[in-house]
Amino acid sequence: MSQPLRGRTVRLLAAAVLAATVLLPAAAPAAAADPVVLRVGTTQDLDASNPFNTLLVSGYEAFQLTYNLLVEFDKDAHPGPGFADSWTRNPDNVTFHVRDGMTWSDGKPATSKDVCFSWGLALAAIKAKDVVGAGYLDPGVKDAGVTAVTCPDPSTVVVSTKDQSDRVFQVYVPILPEHIYGKDDYKAIAAEKFDPPLVGTGPYTMVEWKTGQFARFERNPTYWGKQGFADEVVLQFFKSSDTMLQALKKGEIDYAHNLNPDQFKQLAADPAYAAVAGKANGWTQLAFNTYGTGTGKTIEGGGPSTKALLDPAFRDALGYAVDKQALVQKVLGGFGDVGTTIVPPVLADWHVEPDTLRTFNIDLAKQKLDAAGYTLDGSGKRLDKEGKPISLRLVYPSTDDNYAKSADFVKVWYGDLGIAVTTQAYDSATLGTLILPSSGKAKYDIELWGWSGNPDPNALLQIFRCDAIDNTSDSQYCNPEYDKLYDLQLTQAGEARKATLAQMQNMIYNEAPYDILYYDANLDVRRTDRFAGWQNMPENGTPFFTYGPLDYTLLTDASAQPSPTPVASTAATPPSASGAPATAGPATPAPSADAGTTSGGGSNTLLLVVVVVIVIAVVVVGLILARRKPGGADDDE
Amino acid sequence: MSARYILRKLAQAIFTIVAIVLLLFVLFRMMPGSPDRAIRNPNLTPQQVAAARARWGLDKPLLPDQLVAYIESTLSGDLGYSIKYRGQPVTEVVADAAGPTILLIGISEVIAIVLGLLLGAYSGWRRGGTVDRVGGGIGLILYSMPYFVIGMPLIIIFAAGLGWFPTSGMTTPGGPTDPWSQFTDLVHHLVLPVLAISLGLIGGYSILMRSAIIDTRSEDYITTARAKGLADGRILRHHAFPNALLPMVTLIAINIGYVIAGAITAEIVFNWPGIGTLTVVALDARDYPVLEAIFLLVAVSVVIANLVADIIYGFLDPRVRA
Repeated sequence: MSQPLRGRTVRLLAAAVLAATVLLPAAAPAAAADPVVLRVGTTQDLDASNPFNTLLVSGYEAFQLTYNLLVEFDKDAHPGPGFADSWTRNPDNVTFHVRDGMTWSDGKPATSKDVCFSWGLALAAIKAKDVVGAGYLDPGVKDAGVTAVTCPDPSTVVVSTKDQSDRVFQVYVPILPEHIYGKDDYKAIAAEKFDPPLVGTGPYTMVEWKTGQFARFERNPTYWGKQGFADEVVLQFFKSSDTMLQALKKGEIDYAHNLNPDQFKQLAADPAYAAVAGKANGWTQLAFNTYGTGTGKTIEGGGPSTKALLDPAFRDALGYAVDKQALVQKVLGGFGDVGTTIVPPVLADWHVEPDTLRTFNIDLAKQKLDAAGYTLDGSGKRLDKEGKPISLRLVYPSTDDNYAKSADFVKVWYGDLGIAVTTQAYDSATLGTLILPSSGKAKYDIELWGWSGNPDPNALLQIFRCDAIDNTSDSQYCNPEYDKLYDLQLTQAGEARKATLAQMQNMIYNEAPYDILYYDANLDVRRTDRFAGWQNMPENGTPFFTYGPLDYTLLTDASAQPSPTPVASTAATPPSASGAPATAGPATPAPSADAGTTSGGGSNTLLLVVVVVIVIAVVVVGLILARRKPGGADDDE
Repeated sequence: MSARYILRKLAQAIFTIVAIVLLLFVLFRMMPGSPDRAIRNPNLTPQQVAAARARWGLDKPLLPDQLVAYIESTLSGDLGYSIKYRGQPVTEVVADAAGPTILLIGISEVIAIVLGLLLGAYSGWRRGGTVDRVGGGIGLILYSMPYFVIGMPLIIIFAAGLGWFPTSGMTTPGGPTDPWSQFTDLVHHLVLPVLAISLGLIGGYSILMRSAIIDTRSEDYITTARAKGLADGRILRHHAFPNALLPMVTLIAINIGYVIAGAITAEIVFNWPGIGTLTVVALDARDYPVLEAIFLLVAVSVVIANLVADIIYGFLDPRVRA
């Protein structure tokens, strides 16, 4: 009878020892010969490794590491050398020179025929009035007014254009290897799996992708630019930013993209981290449902609840009732800028401030409402011109806390004006359908959502066109004058284009189909112990998740320098309450960190001992529970 | 055990699976929102959006066209392509996620079952004793805590704080290449998630086992055993425990069936690439093919598990056999 006990105890103890040995080796530090791996964390899961099928910033970041664009972006987010190293603008074309001696990562020569193939895919789709894959990249070719692409010799690409616009330098079509995909037409390329390992001319080529977990890139030894310090890059996808924060603290990742303000502030004060509040190329807005403006059309059972929303004077007056500075402080934690026009300030070449800026002034708002014909009734409710009390439905997506917080503020401010506001959150897909006149009947009055754009302002200007209604428009705005200006700026470059864009920005600002609340910031934090040489792109942006892989190539070994390179501080106003600088800039010497280890762990012997003790304790407790006798009497059979 | 009993149970199982799958198919497609509206692409024209919807089969009416198409393709084994992860076949996407979930939840369930049953049995046998009060209290508290509330402190203390374990994920990206190191790396990543989930599940089993034991204690054969002079521990192990186990079979079967569904909050907080995470992602993106495949998988799994439980029950308890 005691036999089974001994046998069982021995088995359990053996299991405990096995568990300990299994846990021990995993805690061993990395050997000195291991590759240097840069680990970057983001909460945006990669959706496709095929550049034509990704809709997300993480997808763009991934394919930009492997592939070059014909023209890429320099550190100021201006067009710079890519697959082509120089170009000349001629009256009806741009002639690009393909870099000499460039090869693909598999050794084959990289020449103009790769460009003709890749751009040819987009052109074929445009001719067929179709898109390549998800349709995100090829419109760049159409907007650039490209009519043909020819390659007279291996070093030359001639892009024929309809006009003299500079859009041809903002085409995000990656140059793919013709010797691998050359037999695909534009439909077949969208069906290609693009399973890693991929062949590219970029600094790091994708070698592994575990869906939902990470994508791994290895150094491309044939890359034509500077070779970065990292031998490998890992993009790691987190479902929760809290987990990402812990991974950053533990050193499992070196860079965390888009933390929330609280997490950001936690680390901003710590010299072991550099926190960068980069200006984002996008905004959060109140979009008013202006459906029916100019056309008089209504939607049966839907549409705006009051004709007041169709009146620019009404919308303009409401703009004086929103304290955007307070929103930036309280909702964004101080990390962002007050909203004005539809070209974000980060696009410094094109952004203009409005000619007549609205300020926060509730009394002025009330005056303007009265002057526009929207007066208060006896019980303090604001009436529209039909004599109905104005009650607005404010809808927003449940994806981000900031929307809910901003909605609550707006409700209070509009309430001060005598306008009732009911708020409702939806998930993105539902909200996206609700705002469509056709399928959702546009049953909303104000939509609180956001947009983010490209280095060229074009993408965000499109959403105000008449033909954007029932597609991307969330304000149902339609103004033929605006459409004319849009078509005009498509053909312009330089000062002429800037002037047209200035007109468009002021037009939208004054008519106010949108009240842009703020331009968010990207809150990125990185460790300072392993990598140095960080460069924001552009100056007031972040190093990664911008417009190209440049920063990956500029990184150097942190332990090779006596002190971390001070990072240019961003213009975002740090909140006075925290007193913490938005970026780290102290001249303290960098800790002489061991570049190889990733974990900050204690000694391995201690780990082993503690693990063994815990396992044995569990086993013993289990035994006791199963075996204990009452009252201490010996048992008999 | 008669063949008729088994056949009847089998027929019921198949009917249940078919009904669940069809119902969920219709319900989810009736939900407002569609895949093309989940991500706003300023570049697409309405014609291109319509073409995409046609590709996904969403331009036809739900009943009967989409339903019939679904039935036809599923019966022929074609589960379609993922909408969110463009171009990847659904079977691949779901299979990649199923393995990690079965590993994580499976191990956690086994540990929770073993420890929960032992704890519950002892608590019930020594009702009112220290183990009962302390163990029961802690078990109940942990059972009512969502996994991420158990998980986050574990990560903060043991992973980020003491640095003993990785903070998240299933493997180290770019990690070791030899099989043994990969295995130990995996085990290393499993410890905290398994701990969090087992702690959350133990309470459920121990509470039920406890009441089952208490019921059994009052049975006549227990009194007889005591009268025969058998020791208390022996009575618990050889007489009470096996009989109390009967009602637990059903609970265990249901839970094992649900293993494949994953534990969403746990997988999210530990960044575990399993079915739970996939469900959330697919739901958000309205990735109907993936969602439908997951329903099918979970429905089949739960129904089969229950079928097996019914049959086992029939063996264990002769009174049940039809």
